[in-house]
Amino acid sequence: MGSLESGSLRAVSGDASSGGPMAADASGSGFFATRADWLVNWGRKNSLWPMPLGLSCCGIELMAMIGPKFDLARFGAEAARFTPRQCDLLIVAGTLTWKMATAARTIYDQMPDPKWVIAMGVCSSSGGMYDSYAVVQGIDSIMPVDVYVPGCPPRPDAVIDAILKLQKKIEREAPVAKLLGLGAAERDERGTGKLVYQPNHGLSKGVLDKHPHDPKGKLGLRDPAPRKTENGKP
Amino acid sequence: MSTTESSTTGAAEATPAPRWAAALEGIEHRRVASADGLDTLEVAREHLHQLLAALKERAGFAMCTLVTAVDHYPATPRFALTHQLLSLEHSERIRVRCWLRDDDAHAPTCSDLWPGANWSERECFDMFGIRFDGHPDLRRLLMPQGYDHHPLRKEFPHAGIEPDRLYRQWDRQRRVGWSEEGAAQ
Ligand code: SF4
Repeated sequence: MGSLESGSLRAVSGDASSGGPMAADASGSGFFATRADWLVNWGRKNSLWPMPLGLSCCGIELMAMIGPKFDLARFGAEAARFTPRQCDLLIVAGTLTWKMATAARTIYDQMPDPKWVIAMGVCSSSGGMYDSYAVVQGIDSIMPVDVYVPGCPPRPDAVIDAILKLQKKIEREAPVAKLLGLGAAERDERGTGKLVYQPNHGLSKGVLDKHPHDPKGKLGLRDPAPRKTENGKP
Repeated sequence: MSTTESSTTGAAEATPAPRWAAALEGIEHRRVASADGLDTLEVAREHLHQLLAALKERAGFAMCTLVTAVDHYPATPRFALTHQLLSLEHSERIRVRCWLRDDDAHAPTCSDLWPGANWSERECFDMFGIRFDGHPDLRRLLMPQGYDHHPLRKEFPHAGIEPDRLYRQWDRQRRVGWSEEGAAQ
């Protein structure tokens, strides 16, 4: 065990250009790189720094999770910081509106790599019950998501489970191998890495896009500019 | 009660003159019945500000609790601009309604009487597109600045019209190119 650890440390601090011990093996990544990945991942997964983005009711449950009763400190992820620059785990807890989306995306961009995202609650996972003009239909429309947590709100246990799942996911990443340009770097290490744009159903939905009060079913969108005519007398 | 009409029901006539009736002497308005039994006055737009000022100054309605509108879409006039006032002193509420036509949806502001009505009027403008003349800062309150539509109008589909347009616009401008998927959209 001890020799493995020291080997890993050497792999982390050693220069990448020397080649020799770094030669790729049959599986695509070197032995030392693999062990170094293990060590780096071990450090990362057990010291997640969450950025709590409590947008509505789920934020309350998030506070309960970080508090003493559910004690997220057992999993090393209790040190919430309210600046994205010191965080690597963004927990989006609540209903994300399109007006807030720019701020949420800015927070995501300000977090240093490596970073992960948990979509907590159905609102942030899929828009939830708000199939509405104001709500983003899933935060994966604007940022990649690693773990989705269903529930309205999810119990703190469910979010702790999400963090455990995220730890498993971090274990599979290969940061050092990627740094050294070895085969394992092919593995995705940025969440789903995908933006799954989920549009609001908008005009094409069918029955619901015509308001029952609109007898012609046409969307006469009017210019709200005031026009000078005589009064609208009752 | 100089101009109170009996056009609606006899109920308003049967009850004795309310406390605030004298304060509205000389202002053209009419008293109508409402389903919830709240005293309701209807007034034309040119007398609206005068009526609200009289209710505040002379009848003790020191608080404007609500400024909103109701969209009766196929009907004309279309918007029922509604002010609800509260008198803490007399523990009394009153509703003032003003009908506005669709092509002429503007009304005098009452934020000079009740500074708290400022944001209510901004919200009303945001949701219904009713302009408030003389408002110090008539910007949208809830929807992002630059949004094109007024969501509480009846013709607005509940799932919205291009709700993400402003975000996409912002996104294109600040693009840092962190992923192909993001750049492709
Ligand atoms: S998922 Fe439910 S509890 Fe969470 S923000 Fe949405 S509505 Fe609130």
